[in-house]
Amino acid sequence: MSGERAYRALNTQSLLQQVILRYMLDGQAASKRGRLAWVTSGFPVEIPVAMGITASYPEQYGAVIGSEKVGPALCGFAEDLGYSEELCSYARSSIGSTSKPGESPMGGLPKPQALLACNNICGTVLRWYDAISQMTGAPVFLLDTPPVQGEQQPHHIAYVRRGIERLVTFLSSTFGVSLEEQRLREVATYATQAIDLWTKSLEACKNKPSPLNCADRFLAMAPIVSLRGTAPAVQFYQALYEEVRGRVSQGIGAIRDEKIRLLWDNIPPWFDIFKFFNGLAKRGVVFPADTYTHAWSGSIEGEDLFHNVAALYSNVYLNRGLQAKVDKIVELIKDYDLDGFVMFSVRSCKRYSVGQLVSKERVTEQTGVPGVVIEGDMVDSRLFNEAQIQTRIDALLEMFQ
Amino acid sequence: MIYFVHKEYKNTLTGGSALIEAATKQDSLQLSYGDVARSSEQRLRELSMSRRPTVRYVYPHIPLELFLAHGITPSLAWPDPSVQGGFEGSLQTFACSLARNLFSQRSTGGFSSLSGILFPCNTCDSLLNVADVWRHRFPEDKLFRLTYPAARFDDDSVRFLAEELKILSESLKDAFGRPFSKDELAAAVALVNRFRESAQILYACRIINPNTVSYFELARMVREFLTSPNADTVEPISGSAAAVLKKLEQEGQVGTVKSLKEELLSGTLSSTKIAVESKIPRIMVVGGMTEPLAIASLFKDSGKLSDEVIVLDLLSYGFKTVFTPPVNLEGDPFVAMSRSILNAPSEPTQEGLPRRLEFIKLLLSKLSINILVVCEQSFCDPDQFETPPILKIASEAGVPSLRLPIDPELSDRTRLEGRIQSFLETFGGSPR
Repeated sequence: MSGERAYRALNTQSLLQQVILRYMLDGQAASKRGRLAWVTSGFPVEIPVAMGITASYPEQYGAVIGSEKVGPALCGFAEDLGYSEELCSYARSSIGSTSKPGESPMGGLPKPQALLACNNICGTVLRWYDAISQMTGAPVFLLDTPPVQGEQQPHHIAYVRRGIERLVTFLSSTFGVSLEEQRLREVATYATQAIDLWTKSLEACKNKPSPLNCADRFLAMAPIVSLRGTAPAVQFYQALYEEVRGRVSQGIGAIRDEKIRLLWDNIPPWFDIFKFFNGLAKRGVVFPADTYTHAWSGSIEGEDLFHNVAALYSNVYLNRGLQAKVDKIVELIKDYDLDGFVMFSVRSCKRYSVGQLVSKERVTEQTGVPGVVIEGDMVDSRLFNEAQIQTRIDALLEMFQ
Repeated sequence: MIYFVHKEYKNTLTGGSALIEAATKQDSLQLSYGDVARSSEQRLRELSMSRRPTVRYVYPHIPLELFLAHGITPSLAWPDPSVQGGFEGSLQTFACSLARNLFSQRSTGGFSSLSGILFPCNTCDSLLNVADVWRHRFPEDKLFRLTYPAARFDDDSVRFLAEELKILSESLKDAFGRPFSKDELAAAVALVNRFRESAQILYACRIINPNTVSYFELARMVREFLTSPNADTVEPISGSAAAVLKKLEQEGQVGTVKSLKEELLSGTLSSTKIAVESKIPRIMVVGGMTEPLAIASLFKDSGKLSDEVIVLDLLSYGFKTVFTPPVNLEGDPFVAMSRSILNAPSEPTQEGLPRRLEFIKLLLSKLSINILVVCEQSFCDPDQFETPPILKIASEAGVPSLRLPIDPELSDRTRLEGRIQSFLETFGGSPR
């Protein structure tokens, strides 16, 4: 074991870098052609993609800002413009980066011609994109997907569906493009294939040892967010799944000595992602499941595409109530045979985080496994107290000894 | 074009404090924010003695008429400035300060008169999740939700909200065994219209002459009605407006005020222009779910200043509730209530920032506002995102602005008062 790392890197990482580089270059080229939209991670991107619009993802760029450890500086630029430090750090760093692209990784995201927000992941996205609109002049389109309580009602689907029709009208008038059903079906097929492969890779983590750890999934999720509905995403997930299958068949785990299996809830601290998870890997802790990367699932394929888009995108993890979140965590703990869970209470993200104190109690009641809530942020490392977090994690791990 | 020139407010229009006393029959200027809060609590306790259920509501844009039509009293869940802790085991410190305050009230034995509570859905993330936490912590409470469209006002959003109102109506009937009554709806619409008409008149009068009625008093009367909408609470504000109108009639200015009121309702102000030569500052207060009485009390208690300097608020519990258009009883009542709610002045929880900014710009220029106060509730995303663009347009309009980070407990009260006082002194609008 001496000299060996506790964590095994994926071979597909180099392919991931190529795919993401191409995505960035495509974004820059599209911006120059006047065909770029910034899109929220839960937006039904199949529609703009089918209409020939390239998408860039500010949340993903937020992850880059975080991992480059420039979150505090870029958030600070937004605070200089008057945005409270209590606001979402994805939004603050995005506003800061738009304000000072020259001081941002890769010169900032390419300039958008439209801003497409879907509030199925949080209410902040509308206000964040409004702020970007004020700075760039790009118009905002809101696809309003009210949170779903229980079963989605017919009037709810009808309302979201009308929003999708308005989206098509908006894109047509903004970009002078049109939507062909055949092309939308092709895009939907690519999206389904990528999501199927991604889901299989995630489910492979039910094996012991788990072939993927949290950091692996958080990095590998990039194409499912930013290239959903395209061929390169399918190619990447095919390669990833092959590698994951290979690991499973050979009994190779993501970490060398798997002892404790935990669930991770919420976005990770991007600025600390390797240090945090690899540090725990050295202690035999692996995270075979998390709620964040499992959020991209389902297919819009079928007879009535718009209906399916309305149903699928309204019912995403963050657009359902607390009980639905608890149910999902309980299901993951059981299916992946986990020993406990870590809830990262992200100060930036009220939609994801407010309620975790109650969720923690419920999950433990229903599964019998212990959990811990740690507090911090995903991009703004000023809000991350490493020593305090370590103490709480240590307390959790002691329960397994 | 309507054009006013006022050298001194007190010499124009209404004749000042004598009118206030005549209208309200009580010297509310002696009351404090705490007194009013205690009075509201007392009113709620009285309500709880009756057999009529009381449902507290968190977000001010609800169909008051619907609840009344079910024989239920809707009562706004006001923040309590005196509440201490109680949320810690359930909510993180970064949940919005209003949500924490309400939760603390409930967990420390408040809300004794509660028959049920209504939370909004699709307005902000904190309140969305707090409703779930509430349901878990207080399973004995009847918890209702009303989901709003966040998208712009159009037929789709009206239809969506109308359906949600039907669901709410069914839930109320099931929970309390009180069916929806069309007769009670008609009475409720009349009652609520009487309140809004009166409050709108007073708002319009205060823009022309802030001495018409003190801002504190107006906020108090609005609060009393929203705490318990009934004939008793509509009477003071209605009487106050009637007295003001009588005086205006003598001066031949009723048409002027009514015209301003209508323009405020439509958000146009196309024929209004107010010019003021008074040295007293004319302040507009903007923000979200900040208690107008808290703001009034900050100004009242800031040394020699009076809340007379506040000529208008654009707060959720103030202007934005008061200037909700009436429910049209013709046709489907649920569609009519939906249309009324969605036609109220836009909130930062909704789509439409550019239009909101345009409206503020219009008010600044047409109403001779020379100071803008922007209230920003702690950990409130909608408030905090909206503040920078508002400050920017104020700056572009040449209107000095003051940003007030605030929480329901006024935990930073001394500093807030100090900021207000020193800002006004810097501005040159020293007290008389």
